[in-house]
Amino acid sequence: MNLLHYLIIIPFIVGLFCLVIPKKLSKLRDLLAIGGGLATFYFTIVIFLRKPVEWFYNDLLLLKVDNLSGFILLAIGLFGVLIVLYSLKFMAGKERLSEYYTYLLWTIGGACGAILANNLILLLVFWGFLGLTLYLLIGIGGPEATPAAKKTFIIVGGSDCLMILGIAIIWSLTGSLQMDNISIHLTGLLPTVAFLALAIASFAKAGAMPMHTWIPDCAEKAPIPVTAFLPASLDKLLGIYLLGRIAMDIFVMNKAMGTLLLIVGAVTIIAAVMMALVQHDLKKLLSYHAVSQVGYMVLGIGTGNPIGIAGGIFHMLNHAIYKSCLFLTGGAVEHRTQTTNLNRLGGLAKLMPITFITCLIAALSISGVPPFNGFVSKWMIYQGVIQLGKDGDKLWIIWLVAAMFGSALTLASFMKLIHSVFLGSPSPTTPRPVAKRNEVSFTMWMPMAILAGLCVIFGVFAYRVPLKNFIFSAVPGISFLGFWSPGLATLLIIIGIILGAIIYWLGNIKSLRTDTTYVGGEIIPQDNRVTGVDFYDTIKDLGPLKVIYKKSEKKLFDIYDQGARVIFLFTKGLKKIHTGLLPTYLIWVLMGTVILFFILVKG
Amino acid sequence: MIYLLCVLLLLIGLYGVLVKKNLIKIIIGLSIMEYALFLFFAVIGYREGGTAPIITKGFEKAVFVDPLPQALVLTAIVIGLAVTALLVSLAVRIYEKHGTFDIRKIRRLKG
Amino acid sequence: MNLIVLFVAIPLGAAFLMPLLGRVARKIPDILANLANFSLLVLALLATKQGLVVYKIGGWEAVGGIPIGIYLVLDGLAVLMLLIVNVIGFLATFYSVAYMERYTDKPRYYTLFLLMIAGMNGVILSGDMFNIFVFMEIAAIASYALVAFGTEAEELEAAFKYQVLGTVASCFILFGIAIAYSLTGTLNMADMSRVIAQQGIGTPVFFVGTLFLVGFGLKAAIMPFHAWLPDAHPSAPAPISAMLSGVLIKAIGVYALCRVLFNVLGLGKVSSFLYILLVLGTLSMIAGSLLALGQRDFKRLLAYSSISQIGYIILAFGLGTPLGFLGGLFHLLNHATFKSLLFLNSGAVVYSTGNRDLKKMGGLSQRMPVTGTTSMIASMSISGIPPLSGFWSKLIIIIAAIQAQQFIFALLAVVVSIITLAYYLKVQKLAFFGKLGEAWQEIKEVPAVMCISMIILAVLCVGLGILLIPGIKAVILDPAVEVLYNGARYAQLILGS
Repeated sequence: MNLLHYLIIIPFIVGLFCLVIPKKLSKLRDLLAIGGGLATFYFTIVIFLRKPVEWFYNDLLLLKVDNLSGFILLAIGLFGVLIVLYSLKFMAGKERLSEYYTYLLWTIGGACGAILANNLILLLVFWGFLGLTLYLLIGIGGPEATPAAKKTFIIVGGSDCLMILGIAIIWSLTGSLQMDNISIHLTGLLPTVAFLALAIASFAKAGAMPMHTWIPDCAEKAPIPVTAFLPASLDKLLGIYLLGRIAMDIFVMNKAMGTLLLIVGAVTIIAAVMMALVQHDLKKLLSYHAVSQVGYMVLGIGTGNPIGIAGGIFHMLNHAIYKSCLFLTGGAVEHRTQTTNLNRLGGLAKLMPITFITCLIAALSISGVPPFNGFVSKWMIYQGVIQLGKDGDKLWIIWLVAAMFGSALTLASFMKLIHSVFLGSPSPTTPRPVAKRNEVSFTMWMPMAILAGLCVIFGVFAYRVPLKNFIFSAVPGISFLGFWSPGLATLLIIIGIILGAIIYWLGNIKSLRTDTTYVGGEIIPQDNRVTGVDFYDTIKDLGPLKVIYKKSEKKLFDIYDQGARVIFLFTKGLKKIHTGLLPTYLIWVLMGTVILFFILVKG
Repeated sequence: MIYLLCVLLLLIGLYGVLVKKNLIKIIIGLSIMEYALFLFFAVIGYREGGTAPIITKGFEKAVFVDPLPQALVLTAIVIGLAVTALLVSLAVRIYEKHGTFDIRKIRRLKG
Repeated sequence: MNLIVLFVAIPLGAAFLMPLLGRVARKIPDILANLANFSLLVLALLATKQGLVVYKIGGWEAVGGIPIGIYLVLDGLAVLMLLIVNVIGFLATFYSVAYMERYTDKPRYYTLFLLMIAGMNGVILSGDMFNIFVFMEIAAIASYALVAFGTEAEELEAAFKYQVLGTVASCFILFGIAIAYSLTGTLNMADMSRVIAQQGIGTPVFFVGTLFLVGFGLKAAIMPFHAWLPDAHPSAPAPISAMLSGVLIKAIGVYALCRVLFNVLGLGKVSSFLYILLVLGTLSMIAGSLLALGQRDFKRLLAYSSISQIGYIILAFGLGTPLGFLGGLFHLLNHATFKSLLFLNSGAVVYSTGNRDLKKMGGLSQRMPVTGTTSMIASMSISGIPPLSGFWSKLIIIIAAIQAQQFIFALLAVVVSIITLAYYLKVQKLAFFGKLGEAWQEIKEVPAVMCISMIILAVLCVGLGILLIPGIKAVILDPAVEVLYNGARYAQLILGS
């Protein structure tokens, strides 16, 4: 048995055990789950150190680890353990726990398989299977989660179907399904269709526009560890991994497709962050950021130059770290207060210091504030875009502005989040410090702390730790061209922040809002608190933005709802002609017969 | 020519099935269609100047009509009988439940 | 006495005994029917090892190379079909033991059931055109009666429409047989194939082919000949729905169509016919899925879904490539398992709640875990989620379409599979997940016999993918593909010249 098999088999077997263990032995099941997670993590480390590892079956290279997949595996292993650990406490006492751990472990196994696969069909199998586990995991959230689960699976599973089309075209073009010996030039219609099909599958998984709409729904309803694990980290890793694979290995990119990726990236960054600004729910706010950040990764890969791609891939790793950290802190808040509604939260900093600090670190990371990890990768992406401009792309300034503007807006929306959850004045529903401990338990804050620590390490020692070990080997040919000067980047960020502020003030000048000032002493009535929730509500009323927000509330930009509307039009028409009248049906038969005779016998 | 007559009969049956509203008339139409086909099948086996395909003394070298279609048509007639019987019994039951023989009013299943 | 005669003899014999012995003791119908179908299942498994068998009933050998007796032919395609019919047949009978307690007349039910099985096995094994017609009528008449078995208003209405359209189809087929006979002077399929190959494929053959296409197309419910199916299939008792949708439309529809078009008439390489199959398959696929999306009735949704999936199969056959035939046949096999399972699930839901309206269900998997889980597996399999069986056949079909340069059809197949996923997720959402309705607080899981049938089918849905492993593929699927792809060799193999 090859070393690589362990990564797939262990989680599956352990998951099966978790499923069949009787409910009474819940402690044993928890132990098994965490043991399975740890074992997988252990093997990812071993494999990472020994890479490249390959497995042949009948001279067919089916599984392999190379420089790109090695560190992604490592990340999957790590996240797997952390999430299982976190779930022990968070999910305790909820229903259908056996299933939950089983699906979680299967997800780990499936993700490892998808990353390891070198054969496109094998990749497809694991990829599709992950959609199924995602659907089942969201379903754990209870009856309310079912519509979200359905929507998620239709988008994700539907794009998997497109992937079949792409893979079939690749096969018909090259006669091979092995990723390592395919290289297709994007000339002509077929290769382009294949590329688009695969790109859409990766977009759907990662949550780039326009396939992103499942993420907010899913985040709202699914259990938080699921959101932290799948849409926030794992699906990003997988989606961007696939995008990287197809952009670097399988296809030889051309300008048009690169530009398409850039457009998708830029639009995703801006549109999603604008949506995030006006959210009133912690989970939804985070989920829109999970979409927005994908934009950076797509943008980075879309630049097509090594530094940009490296930036995109590094950003994927960083994003997985800080976004799952953020969701986990969100989960901690929910665990303590039973709510994620920003209106009803406030002043938790004192009560939950660890949560507050980890959340703050992750929030600064995602906003791209130095010296945290988000800054480094975003900065690499900026460099990639600048490089693109040097290579002759006239539109580079648009991409750069979009990226920086998005960064500023991200910071702005996290100011809102930090303020309304941790700072500000406590809301009546915030728990009073009755007991000494209001911080969540060890098994919950540990994963958050580890992830926050990683944010710092990957930022401060960016070059020495992650870039050197993980990224540079994955993307050959990186040169920084002497751009490695944080000063310039900081300056650019400040410009971005000013831009964001201008938008904010523009709104404020039109309609200055007043809030009752804090006087001191007395308990402030609910509606007079400065919660921070409405920080940016004024932008909702800004001219053209107003229309867009209104429309997006009506789901006018949701590919799922729009698709459904069109499909149901056809359905209604077809239903109408099935009148239940026997003569009508007979006439169809005769018409069909006549037409067939006409075509087949005459022609 | 005789084949055309068979087709004509078939079309008459088809007309009944398509246009008539009464269940029983539809069934009769179907039966006419079937019989048109049986006739057609039997006619196919006909040979010019042929006699019944029974070998008797003195007729060893005679022209026989093809016996196979006749056997088949007999079988088909039996099947047709079963079909008609079942249809009629269904029609009777439908009348009990729906209170009508009008096919236009029997349309609870649609869409 | 050859083994393959038993495929028709056992169910016919059991059907004959059923009314005689049925009233003797309460348990006898159940035991007799299950015994008969179980022995058929064993026979079908044994048949996989047989290779090509040509059995001449009554021992009438060919005279001067011209076959005169009735032939039963067991080749690769027949083996595959027999497996499908008898596996599903046995599981449906087993399921009926508990389910049919709701109805009063078990002996008659089993009689019709066994007649239907006998008819289907006969169609599959028959080596001459007229016996295909006779056995098809046996199966069809039994199915008309079974659809009306509940004798409620809707069931009678559905049965009537089904039978009128079915009889029209039979007329087309008989017409086709008559003309084919007048063209070739023989009814033996192999002989007919040989004569047609000698005469060359001209307009008369096209005429006959079109007649068969319409006739068997009606039985297979291909657009635009599908209108009876969504009425008839849901109206039957659940195990019969499973048989009708899972097996009957394939045995007397798709199978007979392929056999006649590809083996007898030798149209397997004629592009206009293949293209028509492509178009009709795609039409059914699209219309069926769109209509399924708009249904509230669980069983009606499944029935429309059958139309859509048959469309996939026809589409795959229309490609005319070995890969297409492989995909089509494998999908046929898979569809038999998951669609039967889904109909059995719907039966379980009806059994426990007495309700078929999806909007009134909800949260049923809390009370009916086996039904919930197995329906989940079947839904995912039919929607083509890896690693379940449906994924593999869909994958092969799409790859085959691309390989045959039919890109538009491949794209449509992909789109339809997305819609398929959508309506099965709708079923899952409305029926099995969500909040448990007030009315269903007290319901229980169905009896063990029903559960066992569903579990076995669910295991098949998960595991049938192994049929694609090269060693196993060579035993079951490859011979069947061979029969269809090298359709012209049929005559040579049977007549042995």
